[in-house]
Amino acid sequence: MPRLLVGGAVLAIVAAACGGGASTAPTTAPTGTPAASVGTEPTADPMADLITAAQAEGTLTTIALPHDWCNYGEAIETFKSKYGMEVTELDPNAGSGDEVEAIKANKDNPGPQAPDVIDVGLSFGPSAKDEDLLESYKVATWDTIPDDAKDAEGYWWGDYYGVLSFEVNTAVVSNVPADWSDLLKPEYKSQVALAGDPRTSNQAIQTVFAAALANGGSLDDAQPGLDFFKELNDAGNLLPGIATSATIASGDTPITIRWTYNALSNRDTTAASGGPEIAVVVPTSGRFAGVYVQGISAYAPHPNAAKLWNEFLYSDEGQNIWLKGYCHPIRYENLVETNAVPQEQLDKLPDVAGAVFPSLDQLNAAKELITTQWDTAVGLNIQ
Amino acid sequence: MASIVSWPPTISPWAVVRYWFRARRQPPEGKERRARFNPFAWLVFILGFLYFFLPLVGTFIHSTRTRPDNLLAYKQVLADPKFFGGLVYSFTVGVITIIVSLLIIVPTAYWVRLKVPRLRPLVEFVTLMPFVIPPVVLVFGLIRVYGSRPLLLLSSNTGSDIVLVCAYVILSFPYMYRAVDTGLAAIDVRSMTEAAQSLGAGWVRILWQVIFPNLRTALISGAFLTLAIVIGEYTIANFLARIDAFGPYLSLLGRNQPYQPAAVSLISFALTWLAMGAIAFLGRGAQTRVQVAGAR
Amino acid sequence: MAVATRPDGQGVPSALPARRRFNLAWLGLLPFFLFSVAFMFLPAIYLVVGSFRNNDGDLTLQNYVDLQTGIIPGAFLTTIEVSLVTAVAGGIFGLLLAYSVILGGLPRFLRTALMTFSGVASNFAGVPLALAFIFTLGQLGFVTVILKNLGFNPYESGFRLTSKLGVELVYMYFQFPLMVLIIAPALEGLRRDWREAAENMGASTYQYWRHVALPILTPSILGTMILLFGNSFGAQATAFQLTGGTLNLVPIIIGAQIRGDVLHNPGLGFAMAMGMVAIMAVSIGLYALLQRRAERWLRS
Repeated sequence: MPRLLVGGAVLAIVAAACGGGASTAPTTAPTGTPAASVGTEPTADPMADLITAAQAEGTLTTIALPHDWCNYGEAIETFKSKYGMEVTELDPNAGSGDEVEAIKANKDNPGPQAPDVIDVGLSFGPSAKDEDLLESYKVATWDTIPDDAKDAEGYWWGDYYGVLSFEVNTAVVSNVPADWSDLLKPEYKSQVALAGDPRTSNQAIQTVFAAALANGGSLDDAQPGLDFFKELNDAGNLLPGIATSATIASGDTPITIRWTYNALSNRDTTAASGGPEIAVVVPTSGRFAGVYVQGISAYAPHPNAAKLWNEFLYSDEGQNIWLKGYCHPIRYENLVETNAVPQEQLDKLPDVAGAVFPSLDQLNAAKELITTQWDTAVGLNIQ
Repeated sequence: MASIVSWPPTISPWAVVRYWFRARRQPPEGKERRARFNPFAWLVFILGFLYFFLPLVGTFIHSTRTRPDNLLAYKQVLADPKFFGGLVYSFTVGVITIIVSLLIIVPTAYWVRLKVPRLRPLVEFVTLMPFVIPPVVLVFGLIRVYGSRPLLLLSSNTGSDIVLVCAYVILSFPYMYRAVDTGLAAIDVRSMTEAAQSLGAGWVRILWQVIFPNLRTALISGAFLTLAIVIGEYTIANFLARIDAFGPYLSLLGRNQPYQPAAVSLISFALTWLAMGAIAFLGRGAQTRVQVAGAR
Repeated sequence: MAVATRPDGQGVPSALPARRRFNLAWLGLLPFFLFSVAFMFLPAIYLVVGSFRNNDGDLTLQNYVDLQTGIIPGAFLTTIEVSLVTAVAGGIFGLLLAYSVILGGLPRFLRTALMTFSGVASNFAGVPLALAFIFTLGQLGFVTVILKNLGFNPYESGFRLTSKLGVELVYMYFQFPLMVLIIAPALEGLRRDWREAAENMGASTYQYWRHVALPILTPSILGTMILLFGNSFGAQATAFQLTGGTLNLVPIIIGAQIRGDVLHNPGLGFAMAMGMVAIMAVSIGLYALLQRRAERWLRS
């Protein structure tokens, strides 16, 4: 008898798994566009309705939001206190792949394991949309988001960007490098480490792509980036291993390359602990910007909370919170035009003039090249 | 000799001397014979000690590099209520996991050894499977199975806790099975069973009163390993939204703090060590082995 | 009629054919198998099914074909090598360590200290372990600095914590304790009478170990080594932090395919996991063969 049950269950699960490729049709949500003028807080009734509906749901489930990434910690706390909502934070260290997988696995689950909103790398926006995992929604300030950073139908939209910069432990490195070519100098022997694995980490792949820009390549040609790192490795400057805030502070990996917001927030936390002074340098050439995108899960158990969260993030208040975390929020130009940013915040932001944004196709082509060639081209592999 | 045993002792000095000589030649029953000073054993131990302690010292040195207050990281960690809350939660889950795992594994290992040795490779294969299934695959698989009808367990907190415990029991299988199997190998299972059966004991009684007590060291080893896994695990706890557990607390602490994670890992190391000590103390019982069978 | 004899030597004259008793006995393992199915195999089905899918969702065998391309075969070899080395070396030194506290005449409290410490250390892995070793033996680690002050720079002699040897050295931190904890009951099971009997017959310490103790312990040692092998086989976070993925280990590549910030081929990752399952099965097969030989004399 137990065997029959088990056998039946196995058959059922296998059948479900095999047929699981075609997802069930998500409930289409009306694209919410509360009538409001561009660049101001939405005040019309739809917003109040949304708040009530969200509060009825009571909780929001987020994923992959470390508290010190773009000041998400403050964003979450402000959201909680402003609207009286609870927030369940799933794995803050999850990668974009995990976030998408979490949506897929939790399709029928109304529990707290199902993420309501995701914050993923640019290439994941369209692919999640293709897999029918996202729900379309346009925030009140939709029109102020640049066109090339959002999906026309409202399935995903850019949230913030940063520029790749050098993070340097000045206690170990007295002569701070100013540009990519400086990194090749012999004084930096065994001092440069990446903050991730270029085969899996968005930040690390863009690092290689950025090096291409400074090494004679372009947004269409990422090969010089690989060449640069090969040269760096041959010179003995490149360390294997992942640079973390601990290894930077200890001096084991005194130079690394990260998004400005990560580097700057790390500089602050290290200073708060009395650690060595960290310099954050945006390289003079090869300024490369990377965008992350927001999306709402089509299977979100709390869709109204998800929408409210996005309304909050894309209001001036939310965008300023991101800005405090040294991120350039996607509405940055608009905020500056309407003088919505305190001057002292503006002054703290690094100068990223001339930074280039790759398109989706360019990103995918570069990613293809870098992830497949990294092992062989750079020659770091241990045999 | 009898004069020694009574209290208050009415000891004659000669009795003492006689006793002392005899004790030197022949240690009392039940105590392990103390070997002579064994330099090899000391050398091995010292090498092991160095290997284990130096990295902890390195971590400690790093964690105290905060200025101006060297112990800033520790103070921050210990002041955080979520730290102890997380440890208590994970410890509780750990104890439940140990109990469930023991209840499944000990009868299984015993049965395999006694009755179905042919199935042993299959059972061992199954117990080693948790090593090759990536935890993230396991947790998403669990969500798929138990996060949808008809087995919707994950929508409630209790249900999620149950799934968490069961996942940890699975993770503990390799260690628990191997510990119990090694323990069973060291005792004469067949003779004990036959002796107990001839005295009229049923299976449950045999397991409970004959097998379990003789596996004390093995069970404690298995318990240690399981507890360590549960306290340190965070992938499954995270994706199952068990954010009160210790692992998720650690990951929220942020990889981006320079000194605090080192302090956290040392503190949790020390506290887990204390917990193991408590388990060892509770599980100590009689030092002598119960020998049901005679010499083989 | 023939007496039904079974490999365990229990010859039982019985009117029932031996097969019937075997079937009934199998049921005793049902709780274990049911639990494993419910909480391991059922969830893992999507791994098996996924290994036959490509990114577009079609069923295909391409993932298994791709297992032979690129860095993957080398990764399997490297992973097996690292696991074998840490299993054997970890097993040997772990055995010696357990011996030293249980049979080596050390004070009793050291044994409790080592056992409890091993419990904690057995799971001290991943980023904290990697960082601990970096702070100790890294370029600026305090031991490295001490050694440099004493005139010996290990880095000039070619030592690298980020090499295969370095990773193996770090892996020992959780392999030694595992061996110590598991083999402890086996060492305790070495009866004092056996030692005394051997000494009465004139055996030296070496002879006692070679002809009495080690043969008795070998099945348990083998069993624990397969555990150490599996433990190391599935480990990746430690090596990843140390080497950033430059050491190609299968679990790291699987992680790269399944998780991570870039779109990859999860089907390939699942196929690699199935490859690991196959390797595990082969290892168990080999181990069972060795076990049978080792236990043969015990069966008499």
